Amino acid sequence: MKFALSYALILAWLAYLISSGVYLFSRGFLLSRVSKTDVNSCRHLSKDPNDEYFLTDDVVDEIFKDVNASSNLCLPQKSKVIILLIDALKYDFGVYKENVTEPLPYENKLDVFRDLIRNEPQHSRLMRFKADPPTTTLQRLKGLTTGSLPTFVDIGSNFASPEINEDNIIDQMVKNGLPIVFMGDSTWTDLYPNRFKRSYSYPSFDIFDLDTIDRKIEKQLPKEIQKDDWQVLIAHFLGVDHCGHKHGPLHEEMSRKLTEMNNVIKNVASQMSDDTTLLVMGDHGMTISGDHGGDSYDEINALLFAYSKQTKFLNGDYGSDTDVMQQIDLVPTLATILGIPIPYSNLGLINFNIVPDVAVPHMTKLQTLILHVWQNAQQIYTYFYNYAVENKRSFNVEQMDRMDTEFILLTHRVKSIYNDAAFKSFIGDLNAHLRQILSTCRELWVKFDATQMSQGLLVTFFAVFLPFVLISNTPAGKLSNIFTIKELGYTYLLNLAAGVFGYRYYRNFSFKTEEHAVIFFTNVISTLILVFHMAQNWYTIAISWSKVKRFANMPTRAILIILMSICYSNSFVVNEGHVLSYLLVCVIILMAYELLQKSIRVDFKTKFKPQQFIKSTAFKLLLACVLAVCLIRFATTFFRCREEQGNCMDFTTNSSAGSFSLKKPSSAKSYILSIVIVVLYTTLSRIYLRSCGNLTGTSVNILMARYGPTVASICTGGHILLSNSSVKNVDRTHIDMMALIVYALLVVQVIVVTVSPLMVYVLPQKNKSTISVSRTDNIIPEIFKKMKSMYQGDDAERHSDIPVVYGLATIYSSVLISFGTFLAMVLVIILEPKSCSGIVVCIAVGAIILSLHAVLRYRTAVNFETCVQPTFTAIVGWFILGHFCFFATSHQTTLSQIDWRAAFVGRTTSIGQSHFISGILVILNTFCGHILFSCMFGLLATETFSIFALFPTLIKTNANRDRKLDCNNTTKTASATYDRSLSEISNECVGFDMTRGELVLFENENIFVGTVFKLAVQLYILQGAKIFCAMLACTIHCRHLMVWKIFAPRFIYESIATFVSMPAIIVGFLLILRIHKGVDGLISKINKNK
Amino acid sequence: MAVRFDALKTKHQLFHVSISLGVILICMTYMQYRRNWTHLGSFWDSLIIPIVFTGEMLKVILCFYYGRLEDPTLTQKQKQRKASYFTPKDLASGLLLQFLCTVLYGFICIILGAPVLQNYEQTFVLSLLLTLLSVSPTVFLLGGGGALQVWFCEKPDFLTKTEETALNLFKYNALGGILGAWAGSIVSPLDWDRDWQTYPIPNVVGALMGSALGNIVACTRVLYATFKVYMSKKRS
Repeated sequence: MKFALSYALILAWLAYLISSGVYLFSRGFLLSRVSKTDVNSCRHLSKDPNDEYFLTDDVVDEIFKDVNASSNLCLPQKSKVIILLIDALKYDFGVYKENVTEPLPYENKLDVFRDLIRNEPQHSRLMRFKADPPTTTLQRLKGLTTGSLPTFVDIGSNFASPEINEDNIIDQMVKNGLPIVFMGDSTWTDLYPNRFKRSYSYPSFDIFDLDTIDRKIEKQLPKEIQKDDWQVLIAHFLGVDHCGHKHGPLHEEMSRKLTEMNNVIKNVASQMSDDTTLLVMGDHGMTISGDHGGDSYDEINALLFAYSKQTKFLNGDYGSDTDVMQQIDLVPTLATILGIPIPYSNLGLINFNIVPDVAVPHMTKLQTLILHVWQNAQQIYTYFYNYAVENKRSFNVEQMDRMDTEFILLTHRVKSIYNDAAFKSFIGDLNAHLRQILSTCRELWVKFDATQMSQGLLVTFFAVFLPFVLISNTPAGKLSNIFTIKELGYTYLLNLAAGVFGYRYYRNFSFKTEEHAVIFFTNVISTLILVFHMAQNWYTIAISWSKVKRFANMPTRAILIILMSICYSNSFVVNEGHVLSYLLVCVIILMAYELLQKSIRVDFKTKFKPQQFIKSTAFKLLLACVLAVCLIRFATTFFRCREEQGNCMDFTTNSSAGSFSLKKPSSAKSYILSIVIVVLYTTLSRIYLRSCGNLTGTSVNILMARYGPTVASICTGGHILLSNSSVKNVDRTHIDMMALIVYALLVVQVIVVTVSPLMVYVLPQKNKSTISVSRTDNIIPEIFKKMKSMYQGDDAERHSDIPVVYGLATIYSSVLISFGTFLAMVLVIILEPKSCSGIVVCIAVGAIILSLHAVLRYRTAVNFETCVQPTFTAIVGWFILGHFCFFATSHQTTLSQIDWRAAFVGRTTSIGQSHFISGILVILNTFCGHILFSCMFGLLATETFSIFALFPTLIKTNANRDRKLDCNNTTKTASATYDRSLSEISNECVGFDMTRGELVLFENENIFVGTVFKLAVQLYILQGAKIFCAMLACTIHCRHLMVWKIFAPRFIYESIATFVSMPAIIVGFLLILRIHKGVDGLISKINKNK
Repeated sequence: MAVRFDALKTKHQLFHVSISLGVILICMTYMQYRRNWTHLGSFWDSLIIPIVFTGEMLKVILCFYYGRLEDPTLTQKQKQRKASYFTPKDLASGLLLQFLCTVLYGFICIILGAPVLQNYEQTFVLSLLLTLLSVSPTVFLLGGGGALQVWFCEKPDFLTKTEETALNLFKYNALGGILGAWAGSIVSPLDWDRDWQTYPIPNVVGALMGSALGNIVACTRVLYATFKVYMSKKRS
């Protein structure tokens, strides 16, 4: 058992190596912006004579003597501001279409905009409000308050919103003494804790809840508007966004929500005081299905509406865009209105269209504008050049020089503006220049760090290639000699030392960060250790390599190569689901072909008889293959579409109304179907376990296996039905409780498996008389034979003194299967109802692959080791199945199609609102296939034995039989060979007694555990090769047009899959170890009793 | 090393391979002549199926021609089978077998991603072509019952030497054709927007190319064996 522990340690070590490589690469590839903590401040030019900078003609003259020297000035505040942020308010929602008789649910609902624009065109503005991707709320809020570009890496941290340290408009307001009142989404208070004078923040946690938050805001809003102790009021409505997520834009609910918003806006517009500017805006749009996060046209076009009650807005003559406003332009514009400094890292421009035209005493309008514009320009210039000085290497020197010259020219021009025409031409050039800075920055913040990327690639390559050479090519029995626990201790110590060394001296080796150095040094040491092991065992490796046939497994290799090259082509990534289903079907057809080749041609030596063929097991297995491929084809109907796929019909959406699609609650039929499938699954697995004899007895784990899945499936069914039913008055806690029960069952199962894993029942002995087996003999076969005869109903045996154990033949696989059932139930309840049939279908395909492989494996086996080591085809098939399951459960490798609902399964009523749990649930949902099939990989090794224990007659089918028979015939008579027992045949063919099922595994524990370990490493290698290919593809295509849309998301998904599936494999391995230890205990206990 | 060189067999093999390659060449010429490949999927409009059919028949006839020479040396079993060749039962079972195979290929095409409810004709043409490349020659040569024996038994005992030679070559043809059609799918997800990317053109062309490749491999093997014999003769 000692070596088993060392195997687990090696797995953990290899997992660290591979994932550190991936992490290093992603640090280089998904670069983030260096956020600067500098803060702007300014001198307030005030109207109050007591202040330091009281505005007089002299002061104004002083300023305009040299505009360049007059930085950091703030003009007086123009008005108070009310910001109504309506989440996901798309531009199309606010455009009023006349002459539409039957408006779509989202059309023509916000008529307040039309009325205000018609009545007071100088006081209101309606514009497109263009967001920068990623269009998730947190990223948008950061962009809207700091005025800078969000970087790609920020995405996905929507659940853990950290405080913003960069200079931002909220901090500026607070610092300059403008009290803020906030109400709505609690993301704001997470980003800006303790900044608000009063805040009414409500968690945005439950995305099915359309109304609660909005109602609360609506209650507070009128009261707050009446008070006059604030200068800025922010209200963030979430209802429209939640409605989009739940129902999509075409549902009746959307029209209700929009009408509601319309009333809110109307009330605010009428109640607000005269010196107030109202800004209604959306932070992003939504796609046709109501989701957001990506960069499609629908998602980035939000709406901005501005209304000023008393003062007119400046008109569009001052160089600002009139139809479209960039979202980063909001920050400088707000700063202008409020008379506060523009935040340090802002890159946006002031949009004068929504700035109220308030005259500043002693200044002409032109002077005011010049001052505003020039403050903005100087701020951007300062930020940009400071950033450039600190990050010298990342800029192109010539370009910088050119831009510098341009700016100096502009500084001269600004001094000599005396009329409108000059101002207009000046501001045109200035804006062009500043936009150029913006685009330079945009380019810069997706610039890659080549060192980290290449090192990440190298690290991953070694961590995949060396284990492949070393472990995959060593016979399973010898693995325990290579990795002794003592050497592993040294390995870990060396790694620790290297890590500490890297942490301590990272500066001396010119690494930028500690982590980089730690990863670098530990990997160098680990690679050296692996190379050392390889050199030490080169003899064994060379021998086993020489045994590999030159063109063995060619079709499987071709499939593997195609699988690996998917990442390199954008069209293959787009159609990855279909490619995977193609490959999976090919694997199954290949196995069926091998079955025909290896078994039928052997069974019919000279004459083919159709009758006999139809009766044979091979034919039944062929039928199972047909079923499997049909299931796979059926599962392709669950695939989700992505934007790039033309003419693709999405099963979750119905393209009924024009370009939009309705996310309508699908018909009851599909829910019933998924429930039936789930129930069928639990019933079948139960029947299987019962027929193996694993459900006899009354110990806790057997009771769990007997009743747990039933309870779980009832709860799952109830949850699916109730959470989607149109009946509204079901208490949410009751629905949640069902999901919680399923979670709890898994937890209990984990505990039970750790405490006492075995699902066997030792029949109490009735007669404690003598023992017939001597101590030296191996006891196990005897026990088993007794058990067999018990089954056959031999009464005489029943009263004998040999202990009878139920379920001994499937002692390993039964626990795995029972654990897998609970895990699958949890995954099913987390998944969307429609896609949960996908995972069950995948499980069924997995079962068919297992049984097919079991028969195939035995037929070609020559000894125990070949019998327990799965074929290459089966491993690849299992691996593909895990990936296929990702697509079969309606996922896609795009960032906007993450199923965030999973975070709320069982937690709608404020139970455990931690972001950690939410993240785990979403990951479980997204990578359900990887997790399930990685955990269950042990079945590949054990299932051969349990199948043969269940159907012992299959033993006759070994391909060796004939060869050995031929030898036998020379010595014995032909008749003698026919009436041998099955175990004899088995002994002759593969050198051990196959009828004893998985007990054989225990007897050859060295080889068995070694093989399972080898199998785990092989799965590591496959996954590592896949992620390596994804990384390489990103490196090759890093200037590709589609890199942020296709390759980078593919890499992110693959890397998370790697991070998730390697621990899952370790869990699977530990599970087998635990069972193995349990079996050890059981056998010794039985022995002792005698 | 004494290698017995069977001139007759080699001749047969070379003729056989050249017929296959010739058929593929004719197909390619035809496709080049028609320019537009979109008709490849239609049954009535395309000449690919008849050309391939003729080619396979020619090969079978070639085999019969060479097989005539060894008639006197036949065993009892072989004679029996020869006699039953043109019986109605055998013909019917042969046709049934081919039909079943076409259905099977069609099923596999659909499973592998061909549209379920559309493009019947295209799927039919593709599966017919695959049947012609893989199953039909054996059935034409041995009849339905014989073909079954050949496929499912380890060592059928009734084959004459010529037939074995031909079957061996058929294997290359069939394997190449199936793998070619399989590999042809590679181009279909690509976003090149070419008209020849539509199903089943890549698969049909892939099957033809694959069988050509298989025949080239077979041809190389035969030539290499001949070359070795020639060298050893020269040395001795």
